[in-house]
Amino acid sequence: MVFSRRVMQYIWVIVLALIINFALPRIAPGDPAIYLVGEDITSMTEAERDQVLHEYKLDLPVYKQFANYITGIFRGDMGISLIYGRPVWDVVLHRLPWTLLIMLCSLFLSASIGVIIGVITSLKGGGKQDIGALVIVMLLGSLPPFWVAMLLIVLFSATLGWLPSFGAFALGTTPGSSDYFIGVLQRMIMPVLALTLAHVGSSYLISRSAMINALSEDYVMLCYSKGVSEMGIVIKHAFRNALLPIYTHLMLALGAIVSGATVIETVFSYPGIGNTIYESVVARDYSLLQGCFLIVTISIVLANLVTDLVYPLLDPRVRRPGGVE
Amino acid sequence: MKSRILKPLSLLLLLVVLFTMAFGCGDKTDVTPDPGIPAPTENEGNQSSTKGPQTAKKLTIGIYNKATNVTTYGVGNSWNDWLLWLVFDKLREPSPYVLEGENWLAEYVKPISDNGQTWEIKIKEGITWHDGSPLTAEDVAFTFHYYREGPVNRWTHHCSQVPRLPEEGIKVIDDLTLQVTSAKPMPNFDRVTAADLAIIQKKQWENVEEPLKFMDLPIGTGPYKLVDYKADEYYKFVANENYFQGKPLVDELDLIMIKDPSVMFTALKSGEIDGAARHLSPELLSEWAQDPNIKVMESPSLWGVWAELNLAREPFISKQFRPALSYAINRDEFVDTIMLGEAKTGDGAWPHPDSFWTKEGLAQPYDPEKSMQLLGEMGYIDIDGDGYRENPAGEQIDWVIKVASNQPLYVRAGEIIVKQMAEVGLRFHVETIDPGAYSLLYSKPEFDMKIGDITPHGIADQDMLIILYRGDYGREMRHDPEKEEVVSRWYDAQSVEERLEISYELQELMNKYPHRMILWYPKGLWAYRWEVYDNYQVSPGYGIFHKWSFLPNEVREDTVVETE
Repeated sequence: MVFSRRVMQYIWVIVLALIINFALPRIAPGDPAIYLVGEDITSMTEAERDQVLHEYKLDLPVYKQFANYITGIFRGDMGISLIYGRPVWDVVLHRLPWTLLIMLCSLFLSASIGVIIGVITSLKGGGKQDIGALVIVMLLGSLPPFWVAMLLIVLFSATLGWLPSFGAFALGTTPGSSDYFIGVLQRMIMPVLALTLAHVGSSYLISRSAMINALSEDYVMLCYSKGVSEMGIVIKHAFRNALLPIYTHLMLALGAIVSGATVIETVFSYPGIGNTIYESVVARDYSLLQGCFLIVTISIVLANLVTDLVYPLLDPRVRRPGGVE
Repeated sequence: MKSRILKPLSLLLLLVVLFTMAFGCGDKTDVTPDPGIPAPTENEGNQSSTKGPQTAKKLTIGIYNKATNVTTYGVGNSWNDWLLWLVFDKLREPSPYVLEGENWLAEYVKPISDNGQTWEIKIKEGITWHDGSPLTAEDVAFTFHYYREGPVNRWTHHCSQVPRLPEEGIKVIDDLTLQVTSAKPMPNFDRVTAADLAIIQKKQWENVEEPLKFMDLPIGTGPYKLVDYKADEYYKFVANENYFQGKPLVDELDLIMIKDPSVMFTALKSGEIDGAARHLSPELLSEWAQDPNIKVMESPSLWGVWAELNLAREPFISKQFRPALSYAINRDEFVDTIMLGEAKTGDGAWPHPDSFWTKEGLAQPYDPEKSMQLLGEMGYIDIDGDGYRENPAGEQIDWVIKVASNQPLYVRAGEIIVKQMAEVGLRFHVETIDPGAYSLLYSKPEFDMKIGDITPHGIADQDMLIILYRGDYGREMRHDPEKEEVVSRWYDAQSVEERLEISYELQELMNKYPHRMILWYPKGLWAYRWEVYDNYQVSPGYGIFHKWSFLPNEVREDTVVETE
């Protein structure tokens, strides 16, 4: 019952998001015809401009465009991208793996590093070393990602010449070959590093805070009085109880994984979804924007749904009648 | 345990700070470039006198502006239309931006009527498309038809407006010859139209109804074949070994889309790319000139940055008012402050002073005293003593200058204009808007002044001078019968000389009552790795990255400018 109610809520969220996805790009001032034609649009008549838009059915009344958009979703046809001239799904499916690659790696690294440092520094919360670590990690996490990305490029590409500065793979290499694999690895190092630095701060803060709270609980005191080792207290008791907020944070980050790298992907010319969203906003590529936003919406909703479903497994209180839902 | 963690963290922080100090702030001792480099020329770097290879197996070049497929529908602007000319050829080349090009696909393009309305074109024998089939007059006729009545693109108005080619005016005489007759005289047909239209293959295009979505590999006659691409990511070209002008000097070209300028130039510095097909910003010039691996060439860019007034609004519609604003603008300040001397002052007016279509001696001078005198005469007086003038009705003025937020230099230019206008007592303010919203200003003119740029296509092509007026019609021409009369006479002019004289009249009118005030003309500064390939030459309006830089030297002659 609770499950079906949750699912219905998420379905409504998706429906609402679909409507907003359609409306938002059109509300923003701009004209796709300008992207299609370029500077010569200034010398065109209205009829010529409409002819350009006709090819993408953008000359239709808005309600017809909306109807096409909704029926297209069910047919798996999100239209043709103005920028790439290909079906939106082709573009999204080509670019999504690249985003997932760097985002999953950076999420894994930032979460691991953040949690480990958070747990370690929480053991003596408020001490000099805890404050020192807090300042350093927060400082690193506060650096603007695009700036960090530029510094990495200057260091590793321009100065040391170790890493390529743009793209996702070496042009001319065959997918599946070792050259291709090495090229991909080389090109993902800097984006992953920049994203990890950007995200490690929040993981650290959540972990540290959750652990400090857990360590101040009575059951920890009881464990000490019963002679349980410090490692045992931290791992078996405190950390398990601190997992809930950490898990929630991770799942939210997982939901934002598709859209979370816009700036970094743009700086590194990385062909991911974030970069695609940026380009489609500039070009007013409505179809592509709708497709990207749909993927982002679905990923966030799915992550929330999974979080909700898994939560009772982690927290028995949620399972009890009248417990926390 | 904690100290084991904290020590590396402290070290990392220290490294970040040191690294930022070392690299992030740049070399401030070198930021002032050496002004006054004659064009076109190479930089004063360590290797400027050393000549590198004249041929290459493969070049990787960074590009930055939008492109889908390499067709006349996927590429249509002056930022990267050179991609198009790798694959396609024109009847005459290189472009409408030079005084005399040369016959390219054409054996000849000549008028056969005294009134300049009918021309005959004969194409060279033996030219083949990339698929091996012969180029014929049918293909050329089809090109005119397709641009004229097919889906609209950047070349449409060069067949439907200037010149106006009716359907029955395009006649194929034999396999290699055709005649075109326009509704109006077209004395510039050989210099503009024939030098501007990419000739497309009838077989590939005759059944294409949605050309914007056409994603097949294009078939051209040009020196390079497109063999693979991913729109907005990369384009791979290989040399057309059967090219009728000789095999290109570079076997393969990989063009990589890198939109961030810093990343592109860093990639050039690190050797990931061999050339950067975008203007080097002036603040980087001296730094790059010292790099022994890089050469920087300067070219006449034929670009301009202008401040445009909204003629749909009072008082900018007033011919008397506009000169008062123009006199208040000191163009030298933009060149000195924003472009660090690497530009021409914009008082040469419009079109570009380096274009051969431009009348000599035109100017929009800086004269704040004159500006204040005119404003006073029109009733713009500071009534309340706040240092700013009120309009003749006694109302306060605060006009808006709109600038696209992705153009920081233009934002700075707007701020300078605000300051200069304040000096004559006029209050302006700058408003930045997102690029999409800015581009919409052409059809929804909700601004008082806006700052943008104009490319060679718009500023160095005589026909575009008139075609732009067509777009202006709703905004300006209906308010200005004087200009409309001149444009009408221009259409009827039968000779190049007559048209040019009338064009001069238009240019004089535009300078007398300016509504597009050029602020500066940027220089074209192009950087490349000379040890990989060092046989680039300048073609006006294109800089050094264009197909003619990759063709045998003996066939380039009339398409490029000699480097000093």
